[in-house]
Amino acid sequence: MALLSAADAEQVKKLFETLKKDVHIRMYTQKLNCEGCADTEAILSELGSLSDRLKIETLNALTEPDRKESDGVEMVPAVIVSDGTHTRARLYGTPSGYEFTTLLTAIVDAGSEAQNLEQGTQDFLEGLTRELRFRVFVTPTCPYCPRAAVVALRMAQKSSRVRAEVIEANEYPDLSMKYRVQGVPRTVVNERFFAEGALPEQALVKALGKALELPEDGLEVNLISLAEVPAGS
Amino acid sequence: MAPLDLNPGFVGPSAGTGGEADLVIAGGGPAGLAAGLYAARYRIGTVIVEGYAPGGQLVLTDRIENYPGVASTTGRELVAAMRGQAVEAGCTMVSSHIQGSSVRGDGRVSILTDGGEYATASLIIATGAAPSKLGVPGEEKYYGRGVSYCATCDAPFFRGRSVLVVGGGDSAVKEALHLASFASSVTLVHRRDALRAEPVLAEKILRHERIRILWKTRLLEIAGTDAGVDRVILETPDGRRELRMDGVFVYVGRKPATAPFSGLVDLAPDGSVATEEIVHTSRENVFAAGDVTDHELRQVVTAVADGARAASAAYAYLQHLPGRQG
Repeated sequence: MALLSAADAEQVKKLFETLKKDVHIRMYTQKLNCEGCADTEAILSELGSLSDRLKIETLNALTEPDRKESDGVEMVPAVIVSDGTHTRARLYGTPSGYEFTTLLTAIVDAGSEAQNLEQGTQDFLEGLTRELRFRVFVTPTCPYCPRAAVVALRMAQKSSRVRAEVIEANEYPDLSMKYRVQGVPRTVVNERFFAEGALPEQALVKALGKALELPEDGLEVNLISLAEVPAGS
Repeated sequence: MAPLDLNPGFVGPSAGTGGEADLVIAGGGPAGLAAGLYAARYRIGTVIVEGYAPGGQLVLTDRIENYPGVASTTGRELVAAMRGQAVEAGCTMVSSHIQGSSVRGDGRVSILTDGGEYATASLIIATGAAPSKLGVPGEEKYYGRGVSYCATCDAPFFRGRSVLVVGGGDSAVKEALHLASFASSVTLVHRRDALRAEPVLAEKILRHERIRILWKTRLLEIAGTDAGVDRVILETPDGRRELRMDGVFVYVGRKPATAPFSGLVDLAPDGSVATEEIVHTSRENVFAAGDVTDHELRQVVTAVADGARAASAAYAYLQHLPGRQG
C-alpha cells in the first residue's frame, strides 16, 4: 500500500528532480526485534521508486555484522544518507511524521550542490580542529525537531570532522533514558554539551565555538547558556 | 507509524536569499497562510516567511474540533492543507528567522531575515505568539528535563508517569486531555475556581477519570534532581503542599511574537500589535493578523479571517501606490 498520497508522491518526485547527483542511502534493518524496521523499509522503497538518483542499499544488521561495525551502526533501523563519499549523517528510527521531512531534506542536501549552511557556520566548520559528534533526539510529532536535526545533518555532510545521528527517542527508550531525554529536540554534542529546543543556526555555532574552548571532559554544559539566548526560544 | 509529514518548503536552502516583494507575510500559521492564499489570488507577488516550525501554534494542537466544516482534525493536517493551498496559489515560502524590521528611505519596509534582507512594498505581521513562562523557580532549570510547553512533542516521555498541567484556558484543558492518554495521572492546577476553557472542553475534563483539578491553586516551585523534575510545590487554599511529579506542562497564556517589529509599528501594552479596523496598524503599509494582534478571540477561525482581511487591505494599499495599475 502506498504510504504517500498520489499528490504527495508527485511533490516528492518533483523535489527529487532537483537532485544534481546520486544520493546513496544505506539502510540497516532486521526482521526480528525491530519495531520500526518494516516501516522504514517501506518508506525508503517508496522513495526509491520516485527517483533514479536514489541508490538504496539494504543491509541485514544480523547477517552483516562486519559492515555494521565498520559503519559504526549501533541500532536499527539506521538510515545513512550521503553522496556516496561518507557515512557521517544518519537517522536512527522510523523516519515518519515530521522526521519524514528531515529525511527528505537530508536527501536533497546530499544530492545538491546548493549551499545550505550560513557563512558563519561554514567558516566554523573550516576552522574545526576537533571532532564533533551530534546526537539529536527527536519525536515524529515534534514540529521543532526537523530544524535541530537538519542543521546537525548538514554540518556532518559538509565537514569530515562532524558526525550527526538523529535519534527517534520513542524507539530507543534505553538510550533516551541514558541521555535523560524528557523533551525534544534534545541535542547532545560530544557527550558533554547539550541543548533543549532548536537553537537558531548562528546561536548554535556561537555556542559550539565556546564549547570547544572547554576541556573535553567534565560536567554537562548547556549550550543555550553559552549562546547567551534565553531558554526555550 | 505517524503519518508522513511532507513539508517541501522546509527542504532545500534553509533561509531564502532576500530580495524584493510587493508583500511579505511574516509568519506561516493560519493567519499568514490565509493571507498568502488571498494575496496570491489578488496576484500580489507574495513571500511568506515561516518560522522554525512551519504552521505556528496550530501544529502544536493535537485536536481541532471547532473549525467550521471540518468535524475533527489535527492541527498538522489542517495546517498542511492550508499551506498546500497557499503554495498552489503561488506564494513563495521561505523558512527563516526574522531578526528585525525598519522603514527604508523609499517608504518600503525592510525585513531582515537569517537568509537576507527583503525590501517590500507592504507587510503583514502574522507571527503569532509563543507560550508564556510562569516565572517560577525551577522552570528554566528543568526545561527539557520535565518542564515542557509542548505536550504534542513530549507526551510520550511521560507514559505511565505523573504530570502537572498549569492553566485553565482552552490550551491547558486540551493538552491535559491529550496527556491523559499517556500519563498515569494528570493534575491540573488553576488559580481560579472555574475554568476559562470553552464549556465543551471543560465538561470533558471535569468528567475525566484520570485528571484531577486543584482549584485556587498556584504552582510555586518546580524541584528535582539532576535526572529531572521529581516534585512540585503548590500553594493551595489549605496551605502549601508538595506533590511528587515527573513532568510539568505550562499553559498560562501566550506572548505575542512582536520583538522584530517593535520599532516599526505601535504595540499594545501587552506587547501585541495595536490594530484599528481589525488589521490596520499604526503604519499604512503594515497590517497584522491572528494571535499577534490585540484581538481578544484567538482561534484558528479568527486568524484565517484576519488573514483574508489583511490581504485585502494590502491589496487596496498596493493598488493606490503611484505607478501601479488599479
